[in-house]
Amino acid sequence: MVLDIAFKNLRARKTRSILCILAVMVSVFLNGTTLTMNKWMYETMTSELAKYMGKIFIQQEGAGYPPIDSSIRQEIADAILSRSNDLGLNSAESAPLLFIRIERGMMPFMPAKEMIIGIPPGKEKVLIGNVEAAEGVNRFPGDRGEVAILGADAVASFGASVGQDVTINGQLIPVIGVLKRSSMDSVNISALLPLETAQRLFAQEGIVSALLLTPNDVNQTSEVGVALRESYPALEVVTQDDMLAEAQNVMRMPMAYMSLMSVTGLVVAVAVIMSTMVMAVMERTREFGTLRAIGGRRRLIMGMVFAETLFLALIGGLPSIGFVLLVSSWMNTSPPNAGQLLQVIGFAVIAAVIAGLYPAWRAAHVEPLEALRYE
Amino acid sequence: MNKIVEAQEVWKIYPLGEKKVEALRGVSLNVEPGEFVVIVGPSGSGKSTLLHLMGAMDIPSRGAVYLDGMNLAEMGDGDRTHLRCHQIGFVFQMFNLLPTLTVLENVELVLRLAGVGRSVRRARATEVLAQVGLTEQLHHRPAQLSGGERQRVAIARALANRPRLLLADEPTGNLDSASGLAIVDLFRQFNATGQTIVMVTHNEELARYASREVVLRDGQIVVQ
Repeated sequence: MVLDIAFKNLRARKTRSILCILAVMVSVFLNGTTLTMNKWMYETMTSELAKYMGKIFIQQEGAGYPPIDSSIRQEIADAILSRSNDLGLNSAESAPLLFIRIERGMMPFMPAKEMIIGIPPGKEKVLIGNVEAAEGVNRFPGDRGEVAILGADAVASFGASVGQDVTINGQLIPVIGVLKRSSMDSVNISALLPLETAQRLFAQEGIVSALLLTPNDVNQTSEVGVALRESYPALEVVTQDDMLAEAQNVMRMPMAYMSLMSVTGLVVAVAVIMSTMVMAVMERTREFGTLRAIGGRRRLIMGMVFAETLFLALIGGLPSIGFVLLVSSWMNTSPPNAGQLLQVIGFAVIAAVIAGLYPAWRAAHVEPLEALRYE
Repeated sequence: MNKIVEAQEVWKIYPLGEKKVEALRGVSLNVEPGEFVVIVGPSGSGKSTLLHLMGAMDIPSRGAVYLDGMNLAEMGDGDRTHLRCHQIGFVFQMFNLLPTLTVLENVELVLRLAGVGRSVRRARATEVLAQVGLTEQLHHRPAQLSGGERQRVAIARALANRPRLLLADEPTGNLDSASGLAIVDLFRQFNATGQTIVMVTHNEELARYASREVVLRDGQIVVQ
């Protein structure tokens, strides 16, 4: 009965109900989208860092990840690599890298959209691991020619493919290979160049961004990291754990901002539903008084009002899930799991419960005599 | 015979700013089963206040109102609500039907509140609506009915739970004289079957249809 009457009341006030449902839809969509954005940022970060399991970055102090803003003299990098045996490093699996950002992300906290990564020929595997070539080759030729290998997404952004030339900083460079998709987004969006070519094209001769090092014993990564810090205190030695902490630190503000948007969505949803319901309760004082006069208990009236708020929240909230799924598909992130979808629906339900408290209390405390006073 | 209603020295005082308004001043009134009592009096005489007290919608400032021997002032809100649901039927001047529900649903509502099952309440609502002559309008909404028809629905709703006491507050006050007389005639018919009715009206002419007339003036009974 409660649901029946609640639904009929909403239907009787169509315009107001529809406007309220639209507002709830936007709020729930906002909540779901921020959830997806946070998820996307976290997934991007963790998948990127997963590839550096057991690796160590050496970069300029405070450069962040990826070390685009880092600058180390190459002679220092060479000196570190020459001490590989002393430091417990696998020299074959270690290499200096140069990172150059071509295009920034949409927002300051988002990763770059296009990058150049310079890497010494023969050391490609240090960066790309076992990612195979989708087309052409995945290694630079031994003669250190000026060639490029593109990541999976770089084909579109750089507008060239194998056999064609790509324009980098005004110079045409032949593309010799396109990589299959890597789990590292920084590789997918990049054009890989031989280190010297990248240095020359961007006037960074004698400069590298970072050293990517692999310890002989992966289980000794932390110990090797400590030894490197002691030997090179002016540089930043970053293990995977450090990178994770750094990335989390960088993402703290944007994620907090997203959470704030989510809370704003909740406040908006609560305010809209509550104002709709308070207005409805005020208009229906005589109706509630009549219900009390003919034997309706307070909890029944509370239930009626709560049922109306729940209808408003769910009718607005459920379609928003479809929009959230669309956004997650558009952002190429894994779709929200059942728990996360429940969280979005939970958001709508919480909004309904909070918004319904005062109107329900108010309606339940209408005295039976109100039915007659309004006469 | 057991009294259905027994009001003993009932006072009802309302605060009005710094003043106090004495709506009822020591009213004593008994209603026996099967009676059709009409309470008449001018506006402000306290007749509606007395009806509210008899209908367990309010409690007296002094004195006591008993319904079937139970002191209403000593009952909690939940018990008074239960009493209004099962023992009392109320007919309002403005009908007070739920506008979103059909005629049938409005009558079924009180049966639903009383916990009556779907098939029984559907049958009972149809039966009582037939008794008030509304078999053709079961699925109409109140807005589609005339004033007289709406009041018939309200009477059907009030009688659906077979209450011990039917209270009517100015039930003809919002109707033309013909419709008003038809409503009073309906009350007489139900009273003839044993239904106890107390009706408040300012129209003294209607008193002749009742088995007893009570006249209130300035919060006191002057004729009983």
